[in-house]
Amino acid sequence: MTVLEQLKSYAQTDRIALVNRDEQLSYRELDARSDAFAAWLLDTFGEDCSPVVICGDKETDFLHCIFGALKSGRAYVPINSVVPKERAAQIIADVKPKVMVDFTGGNWGNDAQVLTPAALSEILKTSGTVSPESWVRETDTAYILFTSGSTGRPKGVPVTAGNLDAFCRGLLPFYPQEGGVILHQVSYSFDVSGCAVYAGICRGMTLFTIDHAMAANLQECFAALERSKLTLWVSTPSFAELCVQSERFSQALLPRLQQFLFCGEVLTHTLCDTLAQRFPSARILNTYGPTEATVLVTAAEITEEMRKDSRSIPIGRPIDGVTLRLERDGQVITGEEETGELQILGPTVGPGYWGRPDLTEKSFFTDRETGLRGYRTGDLCYQKGDWYYYCGRADNQLKLNGYRIEIEDVEANLQRLSGIRRAAVLPVRDGEGKAQYLAAFLLLEEPDGLTPLKRSIALKRQAAEFLPAYMIPRKFFAVDAFPLNVNGKIDKKVLTARLEGTP
Amino acid sequence: MEQKIAEILAELCGVEPEEIQPELELFDEGLLDSFAAIQLVMELEEAFGVSLDMASLPRERIATPAAIATLIREKKG
Repeated sequence: MTVLEQLKSYAQTDRIALVNRDEQLSYRELDARSDAFAAWLLDTFGEDCSPVVICGDKETDFLHCIFGALKSGRAYVPINSVVPKERAAQIIADVKPKVMVDFTGGNWGNDAQVLTPAALSEILKTSGTVSPESWVRETDTAYILFTSGSTGRPKGVPVTAGNLDAFCRGLLPFYPQEGGVILHQVSYSFDVSGCAVYAGICRGMTLFTIDHAMAANLQECFAALERSKLTLWVSTPSFAELCVQSERFSQALLPRLQQFLFCGEVLTHTLCDTLAQRFPSARILNTYGPTEATVLVTAAEITEEMRKDSRSIPIGRPIDGVTLRLERDGQVITGEEETGELQILGPTVGPGYWGRPDLTEKSFFTDRETGLRGYRTGDLCYQKGDWYYYCGRADNQLKLNGYRIEIEDVEANLQRLSGIRRAAVLPVRDGEGKAQYLAAFLLLEEPDGLTPLKRSIALKRQAAEFLPAYMIPRKFFAVDAFPLNVNGKIDKKVLTARLEGTP
Repeated sequence: MEQKIAEILAELCGVEPEEIQPELELFDEGLLDSFAAIQLVMELEEAFGVSLDMASLPRERIATPAAIATLIREKKG
């Protein structure tokens, strides 16, 4: 696997792989400690290659576990510490790990061996070497990420070592240089973090960590960024939008910054214009891709012309190795500006959903003509000239502050709360069509006698047992009955109108 | 001013302004998250004609309606 080869080769230098608050980690240390963890996995579990679950945020040892798992021929499954226990337990039940590394201090009560940070740190101190023979091979799973599933249960997306090699080959031409400092803010459980963890390590870059607590406190975050010497910014547009709320977010704060790389949701004209003004010497790269096809499959450097154009900011053109196709009603579309569902073909397309042949069958395919693996994204796009443009989802999936959410997932989990018969959830969007927050309309089993505020507080507290904070609606409205459409389904258009009508 | 703050918060959280008590813990009770907080700050800036830099604004300063009122009075001088 390319990233492991590159890690080995940079381990011969004095380069720094990671900065995490006051800690610094060299490539040499990262290589040695991940070898130690790999050797321990091989010693302890031998032939059993079950995935390794890692629960935490941005702990320095998290990175050792990732590369250690890969070097031992095992996949890893990152679970962010913001995921509620109940939801994490569903993921663990799907994965059936033999070992879990837990940085959260949770009490899991399943069959896996749980490594505490202290126990892990003892293992990492040992000297173990692992032969490249043991590393994950091209068709082996490297990680499984769990995303929102429409049934209310998260679904696993496995990605292979070969997929990640292809992703790095396609993305690296867009990285300005060898070395430099790359932003490491995106959580390990969201694949955009691969721009730093895989492509960044392949280039010998230093990953500059902004953990969850820092990202929630802009004052602390900016103090860290000021010292960062950052050359490449990677985040969702939402995180950058949070930062530009402060005037301090400008070239003076990040004088070495050469490029912004955005992925994970719609990039707006407003953000591009603000960044172009505040960072006159930094390029802006927009990218697009689903987890199922490994992080990103298109890229575009945003020009002044694109910023002034009245159409949306393009998602780009396919990176090297990727083929795109638009289809409507089973027919391939070739005309300009005709909208269809985007299909991705090529070596970055993953094997399918974890343990869900039914879902895999629906969305993945092997193209008869070319033999390429393909994925139907459910995203509607059109092409104009060199560029592809995104125009929304064909279903109920949405991106909120960079998080991928199935509306039905939120509804199913709200319906699990006591006293709720039925829940209908809607995204509330701004003028550029970007989702701002979720609102939930609720049909109660019986009147609860609560004021809207008391109800809202109680529901948010209960919902936090099942849903991560980013999936919990901001507003709750109790209704006596739902408006129904001609098919007898809840009429969300009427609810949307009601939402816009209420001040 | 308190009334206006209560109205902004009520609209932001989807509740009635009468329910917004001065000592209500907006973050601890789960009513605001960091994205709602940004919107809150922008609306306060617009409503009261003050400038509140998010990056240098500790969360305590907007943790309750009373704290927000104190902050706005300070900024207005």
